[in-house]
Amino acid sequence: MQLKGRKVAIVGMGGIFPNCTDLADFNQKLFSNQSLIREWDQALAHGKKVRSSVSGYITEEEAGLEVVWSTIFQNYPDTYIDKLSRIPDGNLATADIGSIWAMLNTLDAIKMANWTTAETESEQTAVVISSGSAGNIILRNAWHTFFELGAKSRQGGAHTVDRTMIFREAANVSCLIKNKGVSESIGSACATGLGNIGHAYRLIKYGFQDRAIAGGVEGTALETFIGFDAMQVLSRGFSPQESSRPFDKNRNGFVCSFGGGIVALEEYEMAKSRGAKILAVIDTYFNNSDGDGDMFYPSFAGQQRLWKGLLQETGHRPDVVKVHGTSTPTGDSIELLSVVDTLGESGYHISAPKSQFGHMLGAAGAVELISSIMMLENQMVLPCLNSVNLNPELENFQTEPSWNGPMKPLEAYRELIPQQAFAKEINHITCLNYGFGGTNSAMSISNDY
Amino acid sequence: MERQEIINGLVEILRTVRTVNQEKLNSVTEETDFISDLKTPSTEMINIVAKIEQKFDLEFDDDDIDDLGSKIKDTVNLIIKTQEKG
Repeated sequence: MQLKGRKVAIVGMGGIFPNCTDLADFNQKLFSNQSLIREWDQALAHGKKVRSSVSGYITEEEAGLEVVWSTIFQNYPDTYIDKLSRIPDGNLATADIGSIWAMLNTLDAIKMANWTTAETESEQTAVVISSGSAGNIILRNAWHTFFELGAKSRQGGAHTVDRTMIFREAANVSCLIKNKGVSESIGSACATGLGNIGHAYRLIKYGFQDRAIAGGVEGTALETFIGFDAMQVLSRGFSPQESSRPFDKNRNGFVCSFGGGIVALEEYEMAKSRGAKILAVIDTYFNNSDGDGDMFYPSFAGQQRLWKGLLQETGHRPDVVKVHGTSTPTGDSIELLSVVDTLGESGYHISAPKSQFGHMLGAAGAVELISSIMMLENQMVLPCLNSVNLNPELENFQTEPSWNGPMKPLEAYRELIPQQAFAKEINHITCLNYGFGGTNSAMSISNDY
Repeated sequence: MERQEIINGLVEILRTVRTVNQEKLNSVTEETDFISDLKTPSTEMINIVAKIEQKFDLEFDDDDIDDLGSKIKDTVNLIIKTQEKG
């Protein structure tokens, strides 16, 4: 059953992006078709132990931070110094790198939203933020200290819990901005970024809150990279700029990246009445599960149901579909065919921002929503970089008797998949993200209407 | 080890703890209170204790840490007591 709720506006955003100085730099680089992916020294340092060596990573220095190393144990970051004095030392002491990014992005989003201190600290302001992984850098050293070096528990540091717990990003942001409303984290693997924003949207839509800080972050950590590297799902064999290639015939995995994206949401009428700039309106958010018992393999039926649920609520046909588009062999083809199955073969375009900055995991949905807001603002479609050759043959799964989707090869949809950014009238964008466990998320956003 | 020498060592440690009020470290005495004077967050105390153990090359008993008072003199006393135990 669907209840008609209130309208929700996006009034602010902030983020941290690989190889970018700020939001404006990110905007400029994306719309000039640049890749933000680089060779990663941390991966290269492990030689042949690691398959892939490219990433959209962010160093402490690039974030304006300095590590204070433990005097007790090597390689343990006791705390961080904010060289630009944006966050008090007391807040930095309880944060891992991703939580610090979440706090920085939140400050930017609130500044853009132009909320007063009273509005920010209100009982009607929520914080809903999470990430896809644990506080790996902190855990790495804390557990090594205890188990391998035989130290007493206190020598691993008193902040292992607050710097590594699920909820650490939302907890740190709430302690920084002192909101008195809901504060929580929603986890859904690589759909986490969009899932947290979707949950915050619902809190406002159904009247529980008037404002929300929401999004996802994924702090740079080699453990996160290695976990996926072990699964043999990371891209390898291409130059950094060419390694993320959604839909291309030669794609062989995703680029493991890091970053953060936070948006400020507000009930639409309240935002309008105070003269806020409306960056976009959220038409609806819909999410579901594949329900087929498969942890990893994408589900065409699950994505068909996702689209059905989304379109039932909005009725908007998107001008652009911002796909999950990771550059994995099966994921991309199932996704493209489910889009075509729903929307037909023309009248819209597909944008795959991961082709430019890789897969930011728990931050992906949030950063890609920010990329989509920029598409609305710029009235330009972001490309699917490196989608040079599309498969002229049917995918193997399309030849199976049980397949009930489109019966053309991916090459038939070339016109939908731009290799360069281009100008176009854009009023509605659909954002898609999926995660391990068969979780699917979709959000529809529009220009102010 | 003289008590003032120990206090000097404690101040050196506290200068590396960014959540402690650094200005107050110029006038630390035996009566200075970690919590009320130096505004040390309670969660930071155990980090400071671990650093003291490292600097003075000793290991406190857990019971002694549980009973530790919040003044500088309490910590000095514990360091001396633990050193004497050998």
